[in-house]
Amino acid sequence: MITCEAFRAQFSPGSENPALLEHLRSCDACFSTAAEVDPDAMFRALGGAEMIPPGGVETFVGDVMREVRLRSAEKSMSGAQALSPTRKLALAAALVGAVMTGTLLHYQRGSVALPPAAGPVAAKLTAATTRPIVETYESENATIVEMPAGSEEGVAVVMVFDESLPADL
Amino acid sequence: MGAELRLMVPTTPAIEPDDRKLVETIRSGDPDAFETLVRRKTQKVYALCYRVIGNPEDARDISQLVFIKLWENLGKYDSAYAFDTWLYRMVTNVAIDFMRNRQSRDNAVNSNLRLVKTSTDPEQGVIVQRKEVESIFNDISSALSPKQKTIFIMREMDDLPSAEIAKVLGCRESTVRNHLFNARKVMQEQLRQRYPEYAQLWRNR
Repeated sequence: MITCEAFRAQFSPGSENPALLEHLRSCDACFSTAAEVDPDAMFRALGGAEMIPPGGVETFVGDVMREVRLRSAEKSMSGAQALSPTRKLALAAALVGAVMTGTLLHYQRGSVALPPAAGPVAAKLTAATTRPIVETYESENATIVEMPAGSEEGVAVVMVFDESLPADL
Repeated sequence: MGAELRLMVPTTPAIEPDDRKLVETIRSGDPDAFETLVRRKTQKVYALCYRVIGNPEDARDISQLVFIKLWENLGKYDSAYAFDTWLYRMVTNVAIDFMRNRQSRDNAVNSNLRLVKTSTDPEQGVIVQRKEVESIFNDISSALSPKQKTIFIMREMDDLPSAEIAKVLGCRESTVRNHLFNARKVMQEQLRQRYPEYAQLWRNR
């Protein structure tokens, strides 16, 4: 750094010399003199030096890196949760398939869960018990599914799905 | 008599990668490289934030926000440009936003305080004290718009040429000079009103 004598000899208004500015910013003795020569130097003298944030540089860096890591983790988690349109479509198709399979299984179980049959007499009785239990049914929320009989002698199955009922009919 | 053997290994000073190379390393997925960049730029970013904002705690928070934004937007950095220019742009944008929000909040409260004058006799000789000037600067620079203040600081305290400031702010050099001219005028006017003992420095010129 240049000496105070050199600074006072060389400093002039509007000086841009880095060596003079460095001296101006570090020497309190020359600060007042410089302000008299060039009042603008008063504020220029405040500049230059880098500053240490409260708590120190290492604490500052630690805080920043903690936040960055947190955001990185959040970003990677949200990235994993996000589904592409193709994957969404595949998921919807799988869901529909599962529902259809479940419904079919439900029907099959319904037809199997008939009263225990043993021989032709029992079969006749079975046919008698599957006659419609409910003749008429009215509900706004119900879904009614009718399975037509395979033949004239067969039994038509009508399923009523209604959330307001304790069990499906 | 045993002789002590000392190996004189010539040491070469560690060469740190420049900013552009460091950014490339961060982009390639090295988590330590970003920490190196933060450590390297902390004091510079904080100094600019502090001068613009004038409060150490707010300046620290805003500086941290700058680095987080930097990390989030590092992919947008074009290495054809100087890294510091890009970084300064980010600092000024965040700091100016903060100042605008704070200014609109504080304007009603502080409008009367700006008329307060010191009781010092204007005819007394002035001994310019650095700490006092810092406090005066924080006080009277609140009369500048956030953009004027940022330009004034970059030019007067960070010694950036007008052309560089124009690049940082994404405006024309003539706009920078215009803001600077107005900022100096406002600062002198504020000094005259509130610190007449200092304003005489200009009168005596």
